[in-house]
Amino acid sequence: MMKYAGIDIGSRTIELVILESGKIYEKYQTNTGYDPVQAASQLLNGHHYDCIMATGYGRELFQMAYESQTVTEIKAYARGVKEIFPYAQTILDIGGQDSKAISLLNNGKIKKFEMNDRCAAGTGKFLEVMANALGFSIDQFGDEALKATKDLKINSMCTVFAESEVTSLIAKGNNRYEIARGLHASVVRRAVSMMKRISITGEIVFAGGVAKNACIRHLLADALNQEIKVPDAPQFVGAIGAALLARD
Amino acid sequence: MNNNMIKLMNDGFDGEPSKRVLHYVKTKKEQNYPIVGIYCGYAPIEMIQSMGIVPAVLCSFSNIPIESAETVLPANLCPLIKSSYGFIIEGTCPFYSLAQAVIAETTCDGKKKMFELIADIKPTFVMDLPQLPDESCAKDNWKNMILNLKAFLERSFDRKTSDEQIERSLQSANRKNQLMEKIFSFAAFKPSIISWQEMYDIGFIALPSTGEEIIPTLTQLIEKLENRVKEGFYFGNHDSPRVLVTGCPIGGDATKIYNIIEASGGVVVVPDSCTGMKTFMGKFEENTGDPIGALANRYLNIPCACMTPNNKRLDDLSNMIDTFQPDVVIDFVLQACHAYNVESYKVGQHVSEKHGLPFLKIESDYSDGDIGQLKTRIQALFESV
Repeated sequence: MMKYAGIDIGSRTIELVILESGKIYEKYQTNTGYDPVQAASQLLNGHHYDCIMATGYGRELFQMAYESQTVTEIKAYARGVKEIFPYAQTILDIGGQDSKAISLLNNGKIKKFEMNDRCAAGTGKFLEVMANALGFSIDQFGDEALKATKDLKINSMCTVFAESEVTSLIAKGNNRYEIARGLHASVVRRAVSMMKRISITGEIVFAGGVAKNACIRHLLADALNQEIKVPDAPQFVGAIGAALLARD
Repeated sequence: MNNNMIKLMNDGFDGEPSKRVLHYVKTKKEQNYPIVGIYCGYAPIEMIQSMGIVPAVLCSFSNIPIESAETVLPANLCPLIKSSYGFIIEGTCPFYSLAQAVIAETTCDGKKKMFELIADIKPTFVMDLPQLPDESCAKDNWKNMILNLKAFLERSFDRKTSDEQIERSLQSANRKNQLMEKIFSFAAFKPSIISWQEMYDIGFIALPSTGEEIIPTLTQLIEKLENRVKEGFYFGNHDSPRVLVTGCPIGGDATKIYNIIEASGGVVVVPDSCTGMKTFMGKFEENTGDPIGALANRYLNIPCACMTPNNKRLDDLSNMIDTFQPDVVIDFVLQACHAYNVESYKVGQHVSEKHGLPFLKIESDYSDGDIGQLKTRIQALFESV
């Protein structure tokens, strides 16, 4: 039985998925750190596979070190999502330092995509910096934000400006849960505007590490007035897609 | 790609178009021709040449002088304007040093106000460009502006020109532009016979040259290209995505976009900007008895995004798509260029709805900080072909 591996070398984390007979056989995650190839090789250590496909921003670095094919994270996410949700037509992926909206044709091919520019506004990194500023752990940030009944409007999208804005809201004695919810709402506003540029149709899937955040999921479904599908392990979708593309 | 590809121009300057042009301008200067600096494709080169003056496009495509420029100009401004200004205050643009005067065109607000900051260094003539080209008075206004420029040049350079001289100059430019179109047409072959770098190189030297000076070279290049066809030379592969790049001028550090397209396996078959095909398109009407009017008509037809409405750009895009058969269209917008940035929506609609082609808008500057992101986007665009 052939084993196909997909590795997604993102800006914050690396995910590895190994498929056997079309099923996920193994999956692993580690932090990218400052040496993506070293981190990837530690993650691969001891695992057997016949063929590997790399995606994510570190894909070309990985390709130089390993005999590997590469694919963009856009195609990898499209493939991974299509496997999990065959009727998906619109994908939102928010990762560590980028976000993208993808619309799919019925055959699973990419119709249109949009990506954030070079700054980290509206991405996982934004939430991480803000959780830190407000004294929440990143894993609990979404659940804590959901405890607020209203959100304080945050005007800055830029991570650096928004952090100053948060500091001044704290200084004015505002409730930190409401600030947290406001920050989540600003990420969602940005994501929705990006999704509208590719036009939102059919079943919507939300993937990438930020899809683990309950508050983002909740506010997104509210804003789009539609159910949002989220895979069980949303941060692994890119690696799953890459492994499937290695097999295809 | 054929590694044994012969260098097209093979004059020691291949891949270094600015050095080739500098060599040309310096040689002309040594022959006692006066030099005038110009900034964009709206400068009526044929009239300048009819006076025996050499037009030199001033430096504007390097990231290096931007740091100096930002000591005066705001950071959130078009890199082309910042670079142009930085070159002047640093004194690092050799063309500006060689020029006795400068012609500036009001193609955008940023440039217009930047020109005020350099106007006291050298005599500078600002041409007020009509931006509603379909209005009945636009052609006359532009013709008057060209007449004012003529008076400025006569005054500043103590040179004269006549209708006959201008007529001869525009007729020779028609011949030059026709040969340039012929050269570009080799990119319509599948696969393309000519690379973006070669088109870029040739365009750089053809622009300031007179017809008489450059026609022999262009004729030779066409022979070489015809030989390539016979010998089966080509760029890319049969399945390389063919790319039409439209939008803001692309030169120097902005050519990163062409390099990324190439590194991602694509081939640029249409460089449609002021540094590409745009400045050589369209014909001057001959023997009208009003050569300055003929110049005004042809120049006002350039579909820069500063014009409104700018439907000519969409028509030209349709023609280029039909001729060069690209697989994708990329719209390159320089950071803070509002005109091209806003117009990109219409361009995207036109390309995807009328021609069914994948479209990607890229907003960037001269730095290399976004090369990774641009690669991902361009590769994903190619994956969707």
